[in-house]
Amino acid sequence: MPPSAISLRNVSKRFGDHQAVDDVSLTVPEGSIYGFIGPNGSGKTTTIRMIINILVPDSGEISVLGRPRASDVRDDIGYLPEERGLYKSMTVHRVLRYYGQLKGKALADIDASIDDWLTRLDLGSWADKKVETLSKGMAQKVQFIASVISRPKLLILDEPFSGLDPVNTETLRDAVLEMRRRGTTIVFSTHDMNAAERMCERIFMIFKGRKVLDGTLDDIQKEYAHDTARIRVSGGAAALTGMASVESINDHGNFQEVRLSGDPQLFLQQLVQKTTVQQFEITKPSLHDIFVRIARPAPEES
Amino acid sequence: MTRVLTIARSEFLTLIRSKAFILSIVLMPIMMVALFFFMDYAESHIDVETRRFAVIDHTGELYPALEAETDAHNRDTLEDGTRTGPEFIATLVEMAGRSTDDVKVDLSDRIRRKELFAFIEIPADVITTAEDPPAIAYYAEATSYEALPSWLRATLNDEITKRRFDAAGIDQALIIRLNVRADITTFGLVERAQDGSVAEAKEVDKLARFVLPVFFLILMFMAVMTVATQLLNAIIEEKMSKISEVLLGSVTPFQLLMGKLVGIVTVSLLLAAVYISGGLYAIFSSGRWDLLNLVLIAWFLVFLVCAALMYGSIFLALGSACNDIKDAQSLMQPAMLLIVLAYLGSIVVIQNPDSGVAVGASFFPTMSPFLMMLRLAMPPGPPMWQAVLSVVVLIASTALTVWAGSRIFRVGVLMQGKAPTLPELLKWIRA
Repeated sequence: MPPSAISLRNVSKRFGDHQAVDDVSLTVPEGSIYGFIGPNGSGKTTTIRMIINILVPDSGEISVLGRPRASDVRDDIGYLPEERGLYKSMTVHRVLRYYGQLKGKALADIDASIDDWLTRLDLGSWADKKVETLSKGMAQKVQFIASVISRPKLLILDEPFSGLDPVNTETLRDAVLEMRRRGTTIVFSTHDMNAAERMCERIFMIFKGRKVLDGTLDDIQKEYAHDTARIRVSGGAAALTGMASVESINDHGNFQEVRLSGDPQLFLQQLVQKTTVQQFEITKPSLHDIFVRIARPAPEES
Repeated sequence: MTRVLTIARSEFLTLIRSKAFILSIVLMPIMMVALFFFMDYAESHIDVETRRFAVIDHTGELYPALEAETDAHNRDTLEDGTRTGPEFIATLVEMAGRSTDDVKVDLSDRIRRKELFAFIEIPADVITTAEDPPAIAYYAEATSYEALPSWLRATLNDEITKRRFDAAGIDQALIIRLNVRADITTFGLVERAQDGSVAEAKEVDKLARFVLPVFFLILMFMAVMTVATQLLNAIIEEKMSKISEVLLGSVTPFQLLMGKLVGIVTVSLLLAAVYISGGLYAIFSSGRWDLLNLVLIAWFLVFLVCAALMYGSIFLALGSACNDIKDAQSLMQPAMLLIVLAYLGSIVVIQNPDSGVAVGASFFPTMSPFLMMLRLAMPPGPPMWQAVLSVVVLIASTALTVWAGSRIFRVGVLMQGKAPTLPELLKWIRA
């Protein structure tokens, strides 16, 4: 087990009557890519803000890069807030330089780093343009550069891919992976489950302030794997209704997705006796399915 | 510390490129000079029309004099072939047996046909009746036009009084000579120098009595308003676009606040430097060395720095609690009230700098930069202990305001959603 880049122990934060984060513990190993998922308002951003020490938890302990307070290692943390975060009337170069200086880096280093990243992200000709003239995708890329300009050891990205077209998403994802190759620990929150599945080694899901998922994608899928079957039978959904181990049926017309409570093999035996089975597949639920299952109580289905 | 300076530098550069600053530092003097020239030009150049007017002269003797005066006027307003004022052309109305009313209706029609601009009716007994004389009637379509009636009022009255003096057998020139007024000149106090000679008392003129204090007062208001409103807009922009989160990922809220305050103090000093240099240039070029008062400038700089810090931290704290410009407008009211109070106080001080109200108000920290400054600039100035005390009170409350402001700023800058009320803000300070 490598040393942890972030460690949260029983962290809680309350705003007035609202329990934003409730007794959350979490360990992010150094050098990993960790995905934070969860519906809007579930406590992702509050957790992130506590990690970078712009909010102080009511109770619990946080250590970042081996230090009890992120303020000691502030210069080693890069942070991209959810959308925007740039001075509209400054030029791209000036705003990047300013953010680099605030991290205490030397101007020569900053300038070299800016040129390098602008070229890498196809923004070379925009250095002296004002931020307000950039498209949303370009602004997001500049924002990303701002968060990595100081060569951080820990990079925290809040919704880095939101509102980007596929090309820009691809570019930005490569940039994130590049940072990972350089040894940076990366935490990012996202609503894009595909991106989380593809990029993250470990997933952390927070819902209503509580931790509901934490582990590698495999672990999580295993935990949720065996109870879903994709079925095509003669008679369709009607044939499945009322069977003992069927918890719910999601009718897609040509096939049905069935959540099972018992052993799938036993259920298949019963099904074969009842009707003709054209297709029976025990599926690995996608992260999207797991997310939706947790965040939305299963609706009553016929 | 370097982070504070980095923020201060960026804040400074942003502020001096802002429209409000450019407006106050460059455009304001230009506009004032331009306005002055425009008014000067407008006064002499715009109205060069020919104004024809008819005269019904019941006295039967004023018209020839009036006609002569119009000729003199037309000559005086002609400079090298260009008119600098309106041309007045008078015609005497021949009654020819008609009634006055008929004549007036006829003249009014002619005005409607634009053949005439106006006509006047001079009553018969205007010269003889000395007490409560009947009025001369002036008829015109464009009744808001003042140049002609005011010229007529002056010219006709000169003629009428001349005739009254003549009728009474008095030499008018003698009366004018006897009526010459003795003016009053204001001096400062006379001092006996060490060698026993009495130093000539300094003549105190309007410039020293009025212009100098008002110069410092306006400069103080301008510096505070320029930086405070800019600061407010900047902090709201930073908050709305989540820049504050990025900044707070790099520096502490206190460093951020201090950086911004150092930035605006520098900007207000720059603004002051520009205007004071202008003032010094005016002193050098006019040779009015008596107006040069370095002690006063030093006082001003002390008050300016404190005012920028105090109002800066008030506006920063309030701005940090807002989510958009609309929130800002409602939260701004108490802060604007402080400035309005200072403005009202300055009127009291100008009228009587040593009255109880003026003295009391000039100790109050939100007003002292304006009011004590004003009193210092108005001779003879307040006792030294008053000035020192007010600066001590001001510095202490500035420190307190910066501290309280940073407490609010720390909470407010990350707050989203509904803007807090003032009592809530007070709670943040204690939290």
